[in-house]
Amino acid sequence: MRAPRSLTLEITARCNLRCRYCYFFSNPAVEYRDLPTDEWLQFFDELGSLGVMKVTLAGGEPFIREDLSVLLAGIVRNRMRFSFLSNGVLIDDEIAAFIAGTGRCEYIQVSVDGSCAEVHDACRGQGSFEGAIRGIRTLQRHRIGVGVRVTINRKNVHDLENIAHFLLDEMGLSDFGTNSAGYMGTCCINADDVMLNIEERKEAMATLLRLTVKYAGRISSEAGPLTDVRMWRRMEEARAEGKPAFHNGGRLTGCGCTGNKIAVRTDGAIVPCNMLAHVELGRINHDSLAEIWLNSTVLNQLRNRHTIPLAGFEFCAGCSYIPYCTGNCPGLAYTITGQIDHPSPDACLRRFLEEGGTIA
Amino acid sequence: MNQTDRPIANPIVVLREEFDDWAVLFNPDTADAVGTNPVGVAVWKRMDGKRSLDDIVSEIKKSFEDTPDSALKEIAAFVNTLAENGFAGLELERKIADA
Repeated sequence: MRAPRSLTLEITARCNLRCRYCYFFSNPAVEYRDLPTDEWLQFFDELGSLGVMKVTLAGGEPFIREDLSVLLAGIVRNRMRFSFLSNGVLIDDEIAAFIAGTGRCEYIQVSVDGSCAEVHDACRGQGSFEGAIRGIRTLQRHRIGVGVRVTINRKNVHDLENIAHFLLDEMGLSDFGTNSAGYMGTCCINADDVMLNIEERKEAMATLLRLTVKYAGRISSEAGPLTDVRMWRRMEEARAEGKPAFHNGGRLTGCGCTGNKIAVRTDGAIVPCNMLAHVELGRINHDSLAEIWLNSTVLNQLRNRHTIPLAGFEFCAGCSYIPYCTGNCPGLAYTITGQIDHPSPDACLRRFLEEGGTIA
Repeated sequence: MNQTDRPIANPIVVLREEFDDWAVLFNPDTADAVGTNPVGVAVWKRMDGKRSLDDIVSEIKKSFEDTPDSALKEIAAFVNTLAENGFAGLELERKIADA
């Protein structure tokens, strides 16, 4: 395609919370500053001219921007749709009414990490649970789509059943998504306190599998324990039965993001993905996004990552899962190993089993 | 006010041109999207409320080699589909008169 279909835009470096596993903060590659309104509006005009269909507004906390309605008007004027990644705390009736009035909001993702304040606030800070739930209720009143994301960590792994009951039964949400605290940003500093150990990963997988039966079709994941256990069970079954390699197996195919989307950091740097925030491809309003999209050597190298065989890595030597493995997220591969073109150890089934994990 | 036979593209719809002249038409108000081939793109670009369907077909026949005799019928069906899904409409008489 000639231009990305969607972009993730970190529109602010400010946040009202300091979550202990935030991927955004504590990244030495990032200059934490906000761009002025005009810079974003000029960039939105470029996106409109390229036919970009959707932007996801993130941060920091996007609702902290005082000029948010002006930015949204710029997005709407350029015929795009939008969504948000938010902690929910700063959402009030005024901005919710404005968003609803645009008719262009796909959803607002709000993080809820506990069934009660004690659990949720343990990693996100005092008062954040009450604020998140208030924000969700406000969005529901204005009939704006809400997507709740539960980031599983050491503080809430024992609360998953209660969380599912709270979100689906008590709050009446249609569904929610899960992931887990990953080794990025602030999480690297607090890893021992927040990241799941082997036993906790096992518990999370077992609980989530049980809950997906109880709440069929209402709990999803694109990463984290639920995704891992589903993928790993398929891999183990294929290995045990000697099945042919998966169509995307045996090479670094774990990320297809660079095929249709790109991201912009809070300081205006264009990067392949928020998980690869150190890879600067250019600057908004200084470099042509279309030119970067089509001709960036770095971006094209990332796109060709799928040609790199896992068998060439010492990390994978002798692994019987290679034909079924994709190497997973390059962002996590980088933060853990220092190399983008490397399988992510976090998603390694062999390592998980060797360290005492089970997927039965 | 009567409808003319002059199709007009919904101005809110985005034409996202991809490689080899294929494209996606995207309505940001509804999130509906439809893929189209190079002939569809050429038709879309001519749906300005001034050209009739016959005018558009005539221009398409000049632009594309080996245009089949059924082109008018197929282009009319394409435009109708766009209209039914909110991607396009038919220009109104009064607006033509005012212009």
